[in-house]
Amino acid sequence: MTTRGWWLSAIGAVAVAFGLWVATPRSSQADVTGEPHEDDKAGHAHVPAPVEYADAHMPPGVWTDPAMIARGKEIYAIKCAVCHGDTGDGKGPAGMVLPLKPPDLRDKAGIAEMRDNYWFWRISEGGLVDPFKSKGSAMPAWKDDLSVQDRWAVIAYQHTFSGHQGPHVPWEHPEMVLVGRDIYEMACVSCHGAEGKGDGSVGATLSPRRAPQPRDFTTSDFKFRSTPSGQLPTSGDLLRTITEGVRGSGGPLTFGLSGHRIMPSFRQMPIEQRLELIEYVKSLNPRFWERTEVKIVPIPQPPPVTPERLARGKQLYADAECLACHGDTGRGDGKSAPELKDSLKLPIVATDLRRPARFKNGSRPEDIYRTLVTGFAGTPMPSYADSLEPDQTWDLVYYVLSLSGDPGRAAGASGRGSAR
Amino acid sequence: MVTRVLAVVVSALLWSAPAWADKDPISGTVKAVDTNARTVTLESTTKGKTRQVVVHLKPGAKIVKFARSSEPGKTGFVEQTLGLADLKPGWIVSAETQHEGDKEVADVVKVVLER
Repeated sequence: MTTRGWWLSAIGAVAVAFGLWVATPRSSQADVTGEPHEDDKAGHAHVPAPVEYADAHMPPGVWTDPAMIARGKEIYAIKCAVCHGDTGDGKGPAGMVLPLKPPDLRDKAGIAEMRDNYWFWRISEGGLVDPFKSKGSAMPAWKDDLSVQDRWAVIAYQHTFSGHQGPHVPWEHPEMVLVGRDIYEMACVSCHGAEGKGDGSVGATLSPRRAPQPRDFTTSDFKFRSTPSGQLPTSGDLLRTITEGVRGSGGPLTFGLSGHRIMPSFRQMPIEQRLELIEYVKSLNPRFWERTEVKIVPIPQPPPVTPERLARGKQLYADAECLACHGDTGRGDGKSAPELKDSLKLPIVATDLRRPARFKNGSRPEDIYRTLVTGFAGTPMPSYADSLEPDQTWDLVYYVLSLSGDPGRAAGASGRGSAR
Repeated sequence: MVTRVLAVVVSALLWSAPAWADKDPISGTVKAVDTNARTVTLESTTKGKTRQVVVHLKPGAKIVKFARSSEPGKTGFVEQTLGLADLKPGWIVSAETQHEGDKEVADVVKVVLER
């Protein structure tokens, strides 16, 4: 064959190949590495659940509860199997015709990475929320059709497709918190320690032989909470702390840190990474999964500041014995102040209330309200939830803010931004 | 030789011609049904954009839903044919559509969820 003949043959072959490629149905073309799926890992669809769903954890017993699994099977057969298939393979008759195919729930590795709160979020909101909406998900939202218990029952049944016998929790599937673990190892381990016990090599040097020390995530003593005294924080609380950092009265190594923070603010870290980090931190403490209900202390709308309110607040400051630690002027020099110790028996300084910018839990009126009603676990700062009415708490909040000598503070000037 | 190669190229292009019609599956929520014009308006999101698509049904187009078989011993799904008037706003459907001029046309609409 001549050179010209070779060229023409090559062009012909390319044309045939092109024709074959074009004539091949689109779905087959997409199937080279698997058709696009709702939970396509390559597309990183296992994004962290938003903070509103982050505390949705199934109590471990439910994963293997035969009654719940049977209930889930019933619901699944009626509501889910038409798309997800009777065997969970994602090949139900309605699922097969969708542009975005349902995931294969038998995929052991894929399911192992999926957190329960993500799963609950997906069933609750379906494809109505991003990033699934943008991808064209046709998954219905079931939150109005299925009770919370029924959604967990469906999840418990779907989990059986993966073949895993135990509870679907991070200590069974560490892969579900790998991203958060990596972030933790880069950003947190030096203070909080490899196992989250607050024993990192750098942490103790920030405040040598005195409080505060880095948090031990394996205990129940979390200072910054919106939950009642003695309870674990919400994921939103953890997000707020990570976002804002923790201000302190200072230590040798906090000089120069923004806002005298003893823990830095991670505001610049993308929200998805902060949420992944929170999932890892929670995985260090199974009690986050054991609680059956997450109660949040309500913070009512702040009332207007009035001279009468400030006067009542001043009286409450004395009556509630705030001055015993914080002193008459709020300087932190009350008669008990020198003896104060935290739960680790380390000396702890009473906060100087004249400097709201250094309040550990924030200096907005609602932050101080939250501090008063939740207290700081592991420190001498008690909760006043049982001893003060909401209106009295506001009186005290405004009086505390007035101690700074800045009238704008008491009128509600914000010392902290939002968590997001 | 040139003639033979050209024949191969032309036949490959002709063979692939139907695929150029850009057949795409689309899914979305039924917003409106016009039984006179035989159209279904879907709200659909793809690539981050939500749009309303008017799907024109071809003559003889089928609308089907899937239901559990009522035959004894069979528990799988079977297709049930519906009329266009049976489609209700709020239902989630899927259709394989083709561009014909400025229209999206379909010969099958499959119900994913009735609600």
